[in-house]
Amino acid sequence: MTQSLDAYLILASLLFTIGTFGFLARRNAIAMLMSIELMLNAVNLAIVAFGAYVPTLAEDGALIALFVMAVAAAEATVGLAIIIAIYRNRRTPLVDEYASMRE
Amino acid sequence: MPFFTEAPETVATAGSSLDQALVLALLALPLAGFGLTALVGRRMGDKAWAIAVPAIVLVWLAALYLIFQTLVAGAYGEAGLHFRLYEWIPAGDFTVEVDFGVDALTAVMLIVVTTVGMLVHVYSIGYMAHDPGRWRFFAYLNFFMFSMLLLVLADNFLLLFVAWELVGLSSYLLIGFWYRRRSAALAAKKAFIVNRAGDFGFGLGIMAIWTTVGTLDYSDVFQLLPAQVESGAIEGWQMTGICLLLFAGAIGKSAQFPLHVWLPDAMEGPTPVSALIHAATMVNAGVYLVARANPLFAQSPEALLVVALVGTFTCVMAAAIAFTQKDIKRVLAYSTLSQLGYMFMALGVGAFVPAIFHLVTHGFFKGLLFLGSGSVIHAVHEEQDMDRMGGLWRRIGITHVTMLIGSLAIAGIPPLAGFFSKDEILGESFKLGFGWVWAIGIIVAVMTALYMFRLMGKTFYGPSNVDPHTEPRIHESPISMTGPLMLLAVPSVLIGFALGWPPESGLIHQWLAPVFHPLEEALHHGAADYQLLGIDGFLLGASVAVSAVGMVVAWRLFGFLSTMAPRPALVASLTARLNGPYRISRDKWYFDDLNHLLFVRVGGAVARALWWFDVHVIDGAVNGVASLTQGTGHGLRQIQTGRVQNYALGIAGGLLVIAVGYLFIVAR
Repeated sequence: MTQSLDAYLILASLLFTIGTFGFLARRNAIAMLMSIELMLNAVNLAIVAFGAYVPTLAEDGALIALFVMAVAAAEATVGLAIIIAIYRNRRTPLVDEYASMRE
Repeated sequence: MPFFTEAPETVATAGSSLDQALVLALLALPLAGFGLTALVGRRMGDKAWAIAVPAIVLVWLAALYLIFQTLVAGAYGEAGLHFRLYEWIPAGDFTVEVDFGVDALTAVMLIVVTTVGMLVHVYSIGYMAHDPGRWRFFAYLNFFMFSMLLLVLADNFLLLFVAWELVGLSSYLLIGFWYRRRSAALAAKKAFIVNRAGDFGFGLGIMAIWTTVGTLDYSDVFQLLPAQVESGAIEGWQMTGICLLLFAGAIGKSAQFPLHVWLPDAMEGPTPVSALIHAATMVNAGVYLVARANPLFAQSPEALLVVALVGTFTCVMAAAIAFTQKDIKRVLAYSTLSQLGYMFMALGVGAFVPAIFHLVTHGFFKGLLFLGSGSVIHAVHEEQDMDRMGGLWRRIGITHVTMLIGSLAIAGIPPLAGFFSKDEILGESFKLGFGWVWAIGIIVAVMTALYMFRLMGKTFYGPSNVDPHTEPRIHESPISMTGPLMLLAVPSVLIGFALGWPPESGLIHQWLAPVFHPLEEALHHGAADYQLLGIDGFLLGASVAVSAVGMVVAWRLFGFLSTMAPRPALVASLTARLNGPYRISRDKWYFDDLNHLLFVRVGGAVARALWWFDVHVIDGAVNGVASLTQGTGHGLRQIQTGRVQNYALGIAGGLLVIAVGYLFIVAR
């Protein structure tokens, strides 16, 4: 059981599922953003694990993980900026009150 | 014409600008009269005629000059005066011009149209004096004159068709002049709708001409179409088809079987209208059309046979109906049908000149009879039922004498107008080998004399059946009405002799010979000399004899002057003995009932079925597509919640489906 790829992948899927659930179920926009970070990190974990266990990937796994971190940082910045802008408009962080996309 | 041989410059200036201006004046004057009367006539009160009538008198004078130049002076040569006003439709290969032409046939038509038109206008001053809508009447009457003159002056088929529709429109407006009366409004609609049926054929005929030769100009069509038949470019049956389609228009306008039903009902209009439009001019348009298109009909003996059959049948049918009608104007209306039948009969056997000759004489004496009947109706206070007249001949002397002249003329008693033209029709149809046409024509001649003198007897002779309240107030009409009667009586007596003597080479034959030259050539008439002591004398004697017999029988039955008393008992017993034919005749051979069954009942049922199909199937399909789209949109709108997380769930679900699908289908 130790030193097995399966353990990392199971952990990664669990983290991803929790993130997905958080994104779909939480009403607070900040919490949804955090859930997205969780999903990204779950994917990162899977990528790093593949990089360690699959010889042909070598350092490429780590490289892709670094890219993902950079993109995640950018995404978090933009996301937070949007949430702050909406918050100033609507005076609430709860996304189910942002229904103006309807109609 | 020695008087004019001295002035050859008249030939050099043929179709001078003066002549062209006069032709345009023929159209412009009534049109201006119509416009002005329509605009200011209402304020003119009882002087509403003051524009319309002088306009038509001027038209008459201008027409006289043109008629003289064309027929007597021969200033325009055989082809006549032709000129172009402007190019109306320049559309590539298809060009239609506003062209006018005055040749011998047009000039002969102008004699009738302008003379009767002018007299009817004068007559209307008196007849319509007490009608509050008289300004409308005179405006319409001027409009009719414009349309009718356009009809005879037009030099191509499309312009003719326009005029054809315009006379139909004025006829509709004038039949329905007293539009508050339901029967008048219905009669106007009937006339218009029945005419549509014929005009549809006419329109198709014009299209057929254009697709065949690519032009609508009279002279071009009359050269190109016969040439194509001779060269075999088009088949004989196509030529027959074109002729029959044109003839369909003639059937409608001239009220021949089976489209004759509108004319008797058209008597709902004021009597001057009946005289002008529905006796002397517009109903002759069909005869004019066939005569004008004689180079086409010359190529198709089959079409001419159809013309003869239709004319002959209408002739005998209408005469039979005229014999039992009680309304004085309806008798005259059926008489008009019958006489128009004579004209088509003549056209059908190839006797075109006698047909036009009869058109002219009939225009005068039938106009006279209608105006006379209007005077009678006026005298007995708008009563039209002949059973409520009688004994009027001493009370309204001028009307009686003029109507007697008209009756003698239509009965064909020499030397009045109708005798010459009718005798030529009968004589020529016999000599051209149509013995059966001649026999039926002779029978109709008896019937004509019978029904006309029945009308005279019931109206003027015997004891008075006038309503006792109106009896003391019977009065002769004013001079504006009796004047035209007397003026029309003159041509009713003289014009037959003036134009038709000597027989078959009279003035009218000299005038019209060039127009009908192509026809004569195509049908190869043997130009047999007229033999007064031979076959022609016999035919002439026969037609006079039968007319006289019919007249005398009618005198014995319905009375004449003070010499013969009517015998109502004998009439009643004859009616009872001939009950079957009497009822058929009285009910107008059931054509109105047949039309009602065919077009109102059966046609209505078909229309309703089609309406149902339209509403439920065609509209259903269109509305179905619309409501399907709408419903789909409405359904899809439900998933558009505006909540980010719902969309995200959709994305997640979609990814899951793709991933699972990949695992189970592709990766396996």
